[in-house]
Amino acid sequence: MTAPLRVRDLTFAFAGQPALFDGWSADVAAGEVVAVTGPSGRGKSTLLYLLGLMLRPSAGRVELDGVDCAALPDAARARLRATRFGFVFQDAALDPGRTVLDNVTEAALYRGEPLAEARPRAHALLERFGVALRASARPTQISGGQAQRIALCRALLHDPPVLLADEPTGNLDPASSATVVDALRERAAAGAAVVVVTHDPALVRRCDREVRL
Amino acid sequence: MSAAGDVRSPLVTAVLREGLASALAQRVASVVCLVIVAGMCATVVLTSGRTVAAEAAVLATIDSAGTRTITVRADTGSGLDSTVLDRLAGVRGIAWLAAFGPALDTTNTAVVDGRRVPLRRAWGQDLHELTTPARSPVPGAAWASPAALAALGMPEAAGSVTPRTGGAALPVVGTLRVDQRLAALEPLLVHPVPDGTVGEVAVLVVITRAPDDVAPVAALVRTVLDVPDPATVSVTTSENLADLRAVVSGQLGSSGRGLVLLVLAASGVLVAAILHGLVMLRRRDYGRRRALGATRGLIVALVLTQTALPAAVGAALGCAGAALALAVLGDPVPAAGYLLALAVLATALAVLAAVVPAVTASRRDPLTELRVP
Repeated sequence: MTAPLRVRDLTFAFAGQPALFDGWSADVAAGEVVAVTGPSGRGKSTLLYLLGLMLRPSAGRVELDGVDCAALPDAARARLRATRFGFVFQDAALDPGRTVLDNVTEAALYRGEPLAEARPRAHALLERFGVALRASARPTQISGGQAQRIALCRALLHDPPVLLADEPTGNLDPASSATVVDALRERAAAGAAVVVVTHDPALVRRCDREVRL
Repeated sequence: MSAAGDVRSPLVTAVLREGLASALAQRVASVVCLVIVAGMCATVVLTSGRTVAAEAAVLATIDSAGTRTITVRADTGSGLDSTVLDRLAGVRGIAWLAAFGPALDTTNTAVVDGRRVPLRRAWGQDLHELTTPARSPVPGAAWASPAALAALGMPEAAGSVTPRTGGAALPVVGTLRVDQRLAALEPLLVHPVPDGTVGEVAVLVVITRAPDDVAPVAALVRTVLDVPDPATVSVTTSENLADLRAVVSGQLGSSGRGLVLLVLAASGVLVAAILHGLVMLRRRDYGRRRALGATRGLIVALVLTQTALPAAVGAALGCAGAALALAVLGDPVPAAGYLLALAVLATALAVLAAVVPAVTASRRDPLTELRVP
């Protein structure tokens, strides 16, 4: 299997704090689901932000399909985030003022994709994850589990080759968790590299590999 | 998929749509922005706008007194004739020009021993501006002002007048609108003379384009009168009135502009501070957008759009509301151009005030913003 996501000699520290990563390296292959685990405060979420090009490492390389993205200008990194990555944040991070459908299609603007093209796919995803009836609701009117599934719909809308998820089952009941994990595995089966930060042993068991920090 | 869906939306349209949707979604921030810009505009209109309107009213009052008029009166036999119009034709600074001959007593042909009304021959390319119906004067016909019609005993412009010295009757075919420039000639009954007919002139009326033109044009008029004895003509100008106008305009204008700048500057600082706070309140929103792939430029564009839309509505409401309030109170209302310029300026000021917080928002890292509770 090829490794679309490669990290080499990653070094990172927040200002005035000890290094979270010092020469850390890893590969995530296409079709692989990797669980990142470890105690709180060890930098699991920070690693996800580094892999997702939201933070710049102090040193080292974060390669996407062989290209070192750490050195790219900000606009190019933003473009890659919009087109090549899908993100599921820990608390879903939905816009409370917009509808569920607007939230799912939000990143279409950043990709330069017409809403008219994105909306039918968004409806299909909402249907698949059992939240289609909430398409016109606001995030404040839905449960935490529904919010996480909607965040997953947003992440999957453009079939990203890299999917990064931060505690995607943290607030979910077992049935919802199973739905989310199935979706992550399905995305990997379609050829994406999937990285999941989690404390959930059940989720870890369904991943191909575990990386402990 | 609809036909519209096949058309790729331009980025600008997409940003405007997203900015509008976000502005509507974040109602509290939008309403605050709208209210402060409306308040800024209302404050300006109710203070400096009122001053500007008062200045315009004062100037209009002065102008109505004839600040642009030059009147030349010539004694009988002075030698001033209608060729003076040819010499003044094309002079820059002259807006309106006409010459009138000596008064010839006439009476209503239908009234025996009727009241005498002076008939004057008239020359000038601009006479048709005064006639009703508005058309080029017809040779051999007369136009009468309402005052002249009343004096003649004609209920309307239909009938004829006969010179007291004899001669053919002249039909009265229309009315004459007499404004400030010809008020001194009332009751006015004119008999337009065909082009090329030279005759004696008793009164020459020159209206300049601007009050400032009165002095130079009056000097020029004096040089082209071409009369043997200058003592037989008198030139009356509104130069003093024009000077007064300039002083009033300068003092009130300076005061009004100063007040506008002061109020705008004070309001602008307030708007900038509040907008900075509003943008900071939205930083989690901008952090999420950055994380999902929005570029810094797009974040700046969205912040400015989210500011400009409610600011424009607020500026329109503030200007219109304050103008309405002034009208209801019976105070002078600033001109529409002033209100429009103020609304545009206030919107631009709000957008300008949002630039710094917009750039700040675009440069914050998503990790920090997404961790804001």
